[in-house]
Amino acid sequence: MSRLVPLVEKEVKDLLRDPRIYIGLIVPVLIMPVIGLAMSTAMTSSIESVTREGVKVAVLDFDRTGVSRGFIRFLNGSGLKVYRLSSKTVEDAVKELEDADIKVLIVVPDGFGSNVTSYRRARVDVYFLVKSVGFGEAGLFSIVENILNLYAKVLSESFISSMNSSVNPEEVREPLNTTSRTVIKGEVLNVPPQALFGQFFMGYGIMVPLVLTMVSVTVAQIAATATAVENEEKTLETLLTLPVSRYEILLAKLIGSTVVAVLGTLFFIIGFSVYFQSFFTVEGLTEGIPVSQLKLPPPPPETFFALSLSLLIAVFFTTSLGVIIGALSSDVRISNSLIGIVIVPIMIPAFLIMYGDVEALPLGLQILVYALPPSYPMLIARDMLLAELPVEALYGIPYSAGLTAFLLLLTSRLLVPEKLLSLQYKILARRMKGRKSRG
Amino acid sequence: MVAVDVQNLVKVFGSFKALDGLSFQVEEGEVYGLIGPNGAGKTTTLRILATLLLPTSGVVKVFGYDVVSEASKVRRIIAYLAEEAGAYRNLTGREYLSIIARIYFGSKEEAYKAVEWAVKASGLGDKIRDKVKTYSKGMKRRLQVARVFMVRPRLAILDEPTAGLDVIHANYIRRLIRDYAREYGTTVVLSSHNMLEVEYICDRVALIDRGRIVAEGTPDELKSVWSASNLEEVFVKVVGSG
Repeated sequence: MSRLVPLVEKEVKDLLRDPRIYIGLIVPVLIMPVIGLAMSTAMTSSIESVTREGVKVAVLDFDRTGVSRGFIRFLNGSGLKVYRLSSKTVEDAVKELEDADIKVLIVVPDGFGSNVTSYRRARVDVYFLVKSVGFGEAGLFSIVENILNLYAKVLSESFISSMNSSVNPEEVREPLNTTSRTVIKGEVLNVPPQALFGQFFMGYGIMVPLVLTMVSVTVAQIAATATAVENEEKTLETLLTLPVSRYEILLAKLIGSTVVAVLGTLFFIIGFSVYFQSFFTVEGLTEGIPVSQLKLPPPPPETFFALSLSLLIAVFFTTSLGVIIGALSSDVRISNSLIGIVIVPIMIPAFLIMYGDVEALPLGLQILVYALPPSYPMLIARDMLLAELPVEALYGIPYSAGLTAFLLLLTSRLLVPEKLLSLQYKILARRMKGRKSRG
Repeated sequence: MVAVDVQNLVKVFGSFKALDGLSFQVEEGEVYGLIGPNGAGKTTTLRILATLLLPTSGVVKVFGYDVVSEASKVRRIIAYLAEEAGAYRNLTGREYLSIIARIYFGSKEEAYKAVEWAVKASGLGDKIRDKVKTYSKGMKRRLQVARVFMVRPRLAILDEPTAGLDVIHANYIRRLIRDYAREYGTTVVLSSHNMLEVEYICDRVALIDRGRIVAEGTPDELKSVWSASNLEEVFVKVVGSG
């Protein structure tokens, strides 16, 4: 163990100081919040600008009745800045507005007032003049639509009250009151299931797969790069003549890469959270039930233990693959091109579990899903919402541990220059042959 | 005591025979040089001694330990300097030495003393606190040679220790090897293209060509046998006649 400490220290220090590694870790941390901040600032300032200047609308009143004038007063009273046009046709009005700072034209057709007074459906035509595309425009159009809907509501309440004053207009408008509740494991929750599914997709559906993918891909990438750098910088030869076992070298690489990958993932999560947070702080763009109001049954402690264990096994599995790829690559460029080819197909089954029905897949694909260790954290995370440990985890974790141990053994056996040199030569020769045939 | 015992060593890569029945012995405390043209089999021999490559046939022993069946025991008593060996670019010279020392030595004190010795031996001064990626080729080589001797090996295996270095760095490294081997009685097996270097450092020399030893002896013996004024002439006569 004492010889392992300096080896791990070497791995962590060398990796964390390597620009090829830390740029990959830091860039997402900086980029994600910056993007989020930029987007939220753009949205907030656009909406603020609309609110500050007031929403300008032009009205073309062909009806010219007391009702249409009342409608225009309503618009004015709702905070809109109404400009009355005297154009003869709608086309003329649109032309008039092209150079003006007004993006909405409301046309009140002839007969509007008579329809309203005789309790018939009245019509209003709204023309949205799109002069640019942005959050400000979207907000502006939405404000106008909301005010029109409000007028329609007021109108309908006035219709209902004038027909029968003893009736509550609200009840006539919405005669059926539906209350949705969700039952999980016998516990009744006062929320509709879609709110839970929303939470599921945001939490277990997005964060867990994202974290798992990030950790697995990053750790494999780091391990591959770290090992390929040893080849490139000619340090592997010296390392393999030191009085340390192949297992210690491998274990140091696994621990070092995992530490750095976990740090990288933490940075990424922070960046990603800031990115997401920046959207949800913009008022008026989010709605629904706050997640804090949901009281889900907590998953049992063994579920968290199983999730951590399966995640650790999955990370060691992908790290071993990374070490194999790095060891077989004579330089970092070759390792980078190989890592994507290997890691992405390994992660696909995990997403099949999260977003699809594994049992509906063809048998071959099902076997592939259950054969790969990164699938099991997904299986466990998916069932955490139901507060239970999936039966697959009971045999999947020992199986994954066995497969990963086998892969570690294989990797340590590979860390012999005799094999490495001949395999590296074969890969290089194959790439050269491929290039020649393409050329 | 025999430090290195190589008997009928054969190494085949695919259809290429790199070593063809190579045999030699090195006594403890001796500095032994392998010289020969490119592709003669020098690096392959050193890599087998360092337990990096496996012999196709033959027996190789280091202080009585077989390099195949007792490789881990061999690794405890050797230190190997590969041709163009690099250090970890993002560590400082001192950090690199410290990590290696802690792998070899049981106590922190021993490791610290070894690092202090290596820092002095490398002659890198304050640059030892800089990252290795800022070092010149000569500085990296001085660090590596210091690393080899820092761990007090019974056998130091040095592959082209001064290749590609300027006169100043090469001279520094030659003196370091010679002085250390004499002071501590360490056995050294090295390869080189530089005949003057071999003559300066080595007690005995073997000329290798096409995987076989074609001449062996002290520099003076070889010069006398081949009627040459220096080893370079011996080399041309031996390899040229082959």
